[in-house]
Amino acid sequence: MYEKTRSSDVGAMGGTAIVARGAGKAYRIYDKPSQRLWDLVLPGGPRGREFWAVRDVYLDIPQGATVGIIGENGAGKSTLLKLLTGITKPTTGEIETNGRIASLLELGAGFHPEFSGRENIRLNCSILGMSAEETEARFQEIVDFSELGEFIDRPVKTYSSGMHIRLGFSVATSVDPDILIIDEALSVGDEHFKGKCINRLNEFQESGKTTLFVSHDMGSIKSMCKHVVLMHEGRVLEQGAAEDVADEYLKRAKVRGNDKMSAANRSTDAYPRWGSGEIRTEEVELFSGDERTNVFEPGAPFQARIHFEVLEDCKQPVFGLGVYRSDGTYVNGSNHCWRKSPIDIPTLKKGHKGYADLSFGSLPILQGHYYITVFCYDHSKPAPTPIDHREHAAVFQVLDADHRQHGVLLLPSRWEVTVRGGEQYLSEE
Amino acid sequence: MISLLKNLIAGRRLLLDFVSRDLRARYVGSSLGFFWSVIYPVMNLAVYVFVFNIVLKTTWGPDQSPLEVVLLMLVGIVAWSAFSESLSRAANILVDNANLIEKVVFPSAILPAFVVGSALVNMAIAIPVVGLVLVYAMLNPTTDPSVLASAAETGNLGVQVGLATLCVPALIVLQGLFTLGLAYFLAAFNLFWRDTMHVIGVALMVWMFLTPIFYPPYHVVQKGFGWTLDVNPMHWLMEMYRGAMVKNLWPEPIDLVRFGIAAAVVFFLGTTFFAAQRKKFADLL
Repeated sequence: MYEKTRSSDVGAMGGTAIVARGAGKAYRIYDKPSQRLWDLVLPGGPRGREFWAVRDVYLDIPQGATVGIIGENGAGKSTLLKLLTGITKPTTGEIETNGRIASLLELGAGFHPEFSGRENIRLNCSILGMSAEETEARFQEIVDFSELGEFIDRPVKTYSSGMHIRLGFSVATSVDPDILIIDEALSVGDEHFKGKCINRLNEFQESGKTTLFVSHDMGSIKSMCKHVVLMHEGRVLEQGAAEDVADEYLKRAKVRGNDKMSAANRSTDAYPRWGSGEIRTEEVELFSGDERTNVFEPGAPFQARIHFEVLEDCKQPVFGLGVYRSDGTYVNGSNHCWRKSPIDIPTLKKGHKGYADLSFGSLPILQGHYYITVFCYDHSKPAPTPIDHREHAAVFQVLDADHRQHGVLLLPSRWEVTVRGGEQYLSEE
Repeated sequence: MISLLKNLIAGRRLLLDFVSRDLRARYVGSSLGFFWSVIYPVMNLAVYVFVFNIVLKTTWGPDQSPLEVVLLMLVGIVAWSAFSESLSRAANILVDNANLIEKVVFPSAILPAFVVGSALVNMAIAIPVVGLVLVYAMLNPTTDPSVLASAAETGNLGVQVGLATLCVPALIVLQGLFTLGLAYFLAAFNLFWRDTMHVIGVALMVWMFLTPIFYPPYHVVQKGFGWTLDVNPMHWLMEMYRGAMVKNLWPEPIDLVRFGIAAAVVFFLGTTFFAAQRKKFADLL
């Protein structure tokens, strides 16, 4: 934010905002902190190992573009942003930027807790490279935008974290940068302020400024950016139209999700399990169609297969299954007895093995993490008693590429808009 | 060094903002406010006077009144506090402001500079108060006959305030250069070796007691440690401050020249080291 080159001489639309040519950044990892000192004063270095946080990055971002950068944690997104803003210098290659950069890597960096909001605005503006006149000219706008009311005159230490962020955002975006870099900063604040932020970003884009947006929330990236850069292990894996890259990202997220889930499924003994034990339920396999998976899309076919082994003779056992969201919300539960056409198993003999299948034609839930609890109950008595009740028998994840609906449930829907005495518009999903 | 100076000049408004915020931050919420700039050295003085002059009965010259001795100590304490506070804060200043260096494009050269600037301004606030006491001491010379008798022999005129005081601002500038050089070096070096901030605390304490602030220099010379005074720039500086403020003596050319050279060399080395390493700061934090 100390780049004082103004965009006026760089050329309006059509110029390049950011160019990276083979940019890479290596950090040195030392086993002992003292090695760093020896590297400074003694010959025979460098000691320690190199770690390439980012390598071989080629970017050519035109002015006025809105570009999203996605990738999982540790993919090098933050390092790339630091390189682009000039906070650190690339180890290899070069990076060129045209125009004043404002980064929202951290909102309110440099706020002093003892001072009032007003004083902190002044200092923060000066940290961000604004002159005294610029600060005065925009001061009231910043105060208004932050909506802090009388809190603006109280010490920042009395602010809630939301207020802190509001003030930081107001200052950072009023610098009037040519390039704005945002690092998932918008995920905080209440809905009202979030809306204001998005409005401001839209104004920004409309006035032909360049925006870089980093997130791993596919939904917001797709809604805001036309061009997406996918990073993986420090490299740019793919860049191009948002739709294409986003699909690639989801595919990868699925593969990775499956790895993680199956690891989680192997170690489920940590959760409560109780019952008389005549039947022991074993692995719960999940399928989408014919494919075994732990990652589903909303609306995809879902099948759960509960494997079991009979340890003692047993009358009228009933298998059931409950689906819970990771926050504990009970999403759905059923068993094969309490149905219009119940399955009645008179008896199971010791030593038998088998499996019970439950399927949903299409899984009507939206993005999130879910877990499954398996029930095996004895229904030979008036009140069913547990044979094997096993919580967290399996976990799965729902990944949503489209983000067309929000909340918990995927509902078939139909929209109609009617202008009285005029047109009628219709959308069937 | 040149690029760093350019940086400071380009960021002068930021530097001023930081200094003024830091000065206000010291006393924000405290009821005595800026008086602490004066109270602090005076309390310090009281403690050292008690230990050195009353308990240990350190002998200064028989030709010096107790008030003169106390004022010589006070001048030393005020100057030393600014020096030592600058260095102990500067050593950790980059770490304390890591979020500015890691998250914002920020001219890191500002940070050690504002610490030193703030300490010097704080010192400059205390000096006029010391000056008032000095004028009082000059107008009310001692009446102790034994002091007067030996003063007549040695030609000691007691506390004298006069034109030599005019060189104090120049001395502050020189002290600033010397302190800045060390501050830049320590701030950058601390990123390579984080023990620096602990070492500096101990080193400053040793250095303070090796510098004749609470006892007269001739004691050191008599015990055969006179060479320590010849390698201690802070001693040269103390002598100049005391001469100018308490005795109305212009600085000895030798002290002025050797302290000037020391300040220039230290400033050059410190800023050069800082400038050479600063590209790495974001990675080192």
